[in-house]
Amino acid sequence: MPVAMAHCVALSGAVGHLVDVQADVSPGQVGITLVGRVDPSLHEGRERVRMAIVNSELTWAATTKRVTVLLSPADLPKSGAHFDLAIAAAILAATGEVDPRSLQGTAFIGELALDGGLRSVAGVLPMVLAASKRGVRQVFVPEPQAREASMVPGVTVVGLRSLNQVVAALTGDEMPEAPEVPPLSAGRYLAWRGAARLDDVDMADLIGLDEIKYAVEVAAAGGHHLLIDGPKGCGKTSIAERIPTILPDLTGNESIELTAIRSLAGVLDPALGMATRPPFSAPHHDASKASVVGGGSGRVRPGELSLAHGGVLFLDEFPLFRTDVVEALREPLENGDITVARGEEAITLPARSMVVLAANPCACGNNVGQGRASCTCTQVQIRDYKKRLTGPIADRIDITRHLNPVSFTRDRLGRQENSATIRTRVAAARLRQAERYAEHDWRLNAHVPSAALRELWPMQPAAQAIVDAEIGGGRLTRRGAVKVHRLAWTLADLTGAEVPGESEARTALDLRLGHPLPSATVLMGRVG
Amino acid sequence: MSVSDEERLARLALSQIFEPGDHRIAGLVSALGGIKVLEMLRTGDHNLPRTDVAARLARVDPARQLEIGMRRGMRYVVQGDPEWPSQLDPLDHVAPLYERTGCPPGLWVRGPLTLDTLSNSVAIVGSRASTTYGDEMASRIAADVGRAGYTVVSGAAYGIDAAAHRGAIDAGTPTVAVLACGADRIYPSSHVRLFDILASEGAIVSELAPGLAPMRLRFLSRNRLIAGAALGTVIVEAGKRSGARNTANWTGRLSRPLMGVPGPVTSAASEGVHQMLRSGEAVLVTSGAEVLEMIGSAGEHLTYEELEPALPRDQLTLREQQILDAVPVGSGAPVDSIALTAGISMITVQGALDVLRARGLVTLSGDGWRLTPAALHATSRSSS
Repeated sequence: MPVAMAHCVALSGAVGHLVDVQADVSPGQVGITLVGRVDPSLHEGRERVRMAIVNSELTWAATTKRVTVLLSPADLPKSGAHFDLAIAAAILAATGEVDPRSLQGTAFIGELALDGGLRSVAGVLPMVLAASKRGVRQVFVPEPQAREASMVPGVTVVGLRSLNQVVAALTGDEMPEAPEVPPLSAGRYLAWRGAARLDDVDMADLIGLDEIKYAVEVAAAGGHHLLIDGPKGCGKTSIAERIPTILPDLTGNESIELTAIRSLAGVLDPALGMATRPPFSAPHHDASKASVVGGGSGRVRPGELSLAHGGVLFLDEFPLFRTDVVEALREPLENGDITVARGEEAITLPARSMVVLAANPCACGNNVGQGRASCTCTQVQIRDYKKRLTGPIADRIDITRHLNPVSFTRDRLGRQENSATIRTRVAAARLRQAERYAEHDWRLNAHVPSAALRELWPMQPAAQAIVDAEIGGGRLTRRGAVKVHRLAWTLADLTGAEVPGESEARTALDLRLGHPLPSATVLMGRVG
Repeated sequence: MSVSDEERLARLALSQIFEPGDHRIAGLVSALGGIKVLEMLRTGDHNLPRTDVAARLARVDPARQLEIGMRRGMRYVVQGDPEWPSQLDPLDHVAPLYERTGCPPGLWVRGPLTLDTLSNSVAIVGSRASTTYGDEMASRIAADVGRAGYTVVSGAAYGIDAAAHRGAIDAGTPTVAVLACGADRIYPSSHVRLFDILASEGAIVSELAPGLAPMRLRFLSRNRLIAGAALGTVIVEAGKRSGARNTANWTGRLSRPLMGVPGPVTSAASEGVHQMLRSGEAVLVTSGAEVLEMIGSAGEHLTYEELEPALPRDQLTLREQQILDAVPVGSGAPVDSIALTAGISMITVQGALDVLRARGLVTLSGDGWRLTPAALHATSRSSS
């Protein structure tokens, strides 16, 4: 049988497409050709596959024959070394080393080393997901990634160490020995490293801070973006890293998307299973554009923005972030996804997170009133620093809060609510939104398009009048007014009001414009 | 000097016959004693409209009232008791406001704190519809004056009052609430925990008998006690019609310091305070230290204006500064061109440049004089 076919999966961002890898071995000019829109990394696979087959002491057909490998659909761009195994399997079936029928319904995923060993690849989960959707019932993957592949239900996963083991598995022969395959190593440099701590933190740890806790609850309930400014040490990071603790579990889709993104980035820990809790991502302000929004040379790696999908992206010291990074945030802040253009292809990754920006009052962080500390910045430096908080990104922020150093030490009168209690209210508010938007593509108030908002979910006329007055007074842009409208809905969803009224509109304006809030709203009877 | 049981009961009876702060008996009890005044009422030897007092006079039972109060953990403190806060006494000489004035015949107290601690106290009051900013300022000032050894007096209401108590309690310092209802009541009822802490560590005070309800006019009488108990009153937030204005008026009538914490001018919650500050009625304060300076004796608790850190430029003479301004930033310039720009003679400029170089502000290189990076930093703040 000179022709055989194996399945593999091409990835475009976090979306996989099933690819048929056909090999033809027939007389002709000796050599191997790879066709079907393959990129250089895949092209190099010819050499890896040849050496792997030779060094596995299997028959390499191309020494005497013409080998043609076709990857289809032909118009789909394909890249990555994970096609190696499928190519090798198709060639071996075409030369008769294995029965071509044994490849049916199976997808082969893995990179080959020259000695015939398998190597781990990134993105196994979305690949297996895609294969499973297209009827594939069995996958062959590098051994360390078997657990990751097993997260997809209904698929038999075979984890192997070498090409010889693959052949043995297909022919039913005794499994040969092979050295262990090292797991995928991926570093997230310059990033926040407290992930392990997230399970141990709780809003109840923080004393006082009533107002910011309230603002964060509102932001979490409606998926709004937030800017916190305040002097050094006033609790900005402590608050931000606790936001995931008040978010409900990820929805089914978010969970699959986030797990797939982690797999792509090579940071998936299969021992933890599918991602269920909202993530927290905090890239350092020196981080490159590629590491924040995604990209990089060769394979597209998801950035921190996508790794925060469904959770919180925290940009501490936002004014110090590189300009290209800040500019690149525009699109995801509005759309909830990020498109990375590379060469002729553009890859879109999900990136729907709550963005939390933090800023100091100035570069040294001490420019606060009451002479608590002395600021060493010049007026020009202060101005330059603050200027970076204006512009397109700031306009896309829904809630602005000014934080002062904590004045309470024990606060016996405050009721330091734990995250679970707050999470219950956030979940209830989100449920109201889900019901209201059941027939639409969005779930949270922050994502409702402005036209739909005006048409279908107006505020009470008196509430709208309050917002309009602020536009008239020049204190609010049109975009800002829409954000206030969305915030007002979230406030209504938190209190159970049918439609946002005057009080919701006023509080929403205060939240947006950075004004102090009415204490009664913030405390909701939680003090005293 | 101890007070006789008879006098205490007589004053208790009077407190039940008259609404708190009834200006018609202001000063009488202090001057004549409770026994005598009660005797006058019983014998009809007075100028009050008789029907006003007759109904209540017939029904008072002070001994029973005292027993009820004591059973509810309260004591009745009167002038002459060691813990009596004598700074209330001047109320007898204050002109009535809404027909209310005068030192109360006695005070019901619940809680371990003795009222003599009020001799060193600050009242912090404000709007019930406060903002988070106002709450924060009230708590912070309360904690600061508390740590300095002062008792915080307020009214246990929503908003600023609660924030003031909260700050003092957090600092672990004494605080007293004066109520417009019986001292055994919890009003507002959601402040259960605040009242618990006040009752077990501070004091809850009222001139009204146990069980009596808060009524609108009783708040006006209560406010005179808050102003009267403290050395000075701080208003943190007050709308145009806030009850805090009334407390401010009492403070003014007592000639005690009235202080106001400013807010954003766009905030309705601060409008009343800003009015008081503008009219000169109140003094602007921004911190506990500034409050202490206002209420302390002359020379006590003085605050110091924080100065901006001195810049190297500040140590130069005006002429040297003028020459420094003429030195270019980028490429260097010769002395004559600097002299021309500065409008100062070359000899003076030459001398000054040597001084500036010694201070590290200018440098001489091949193409002439120019500023050092240190000079740029040293001068930029003053250019704002």
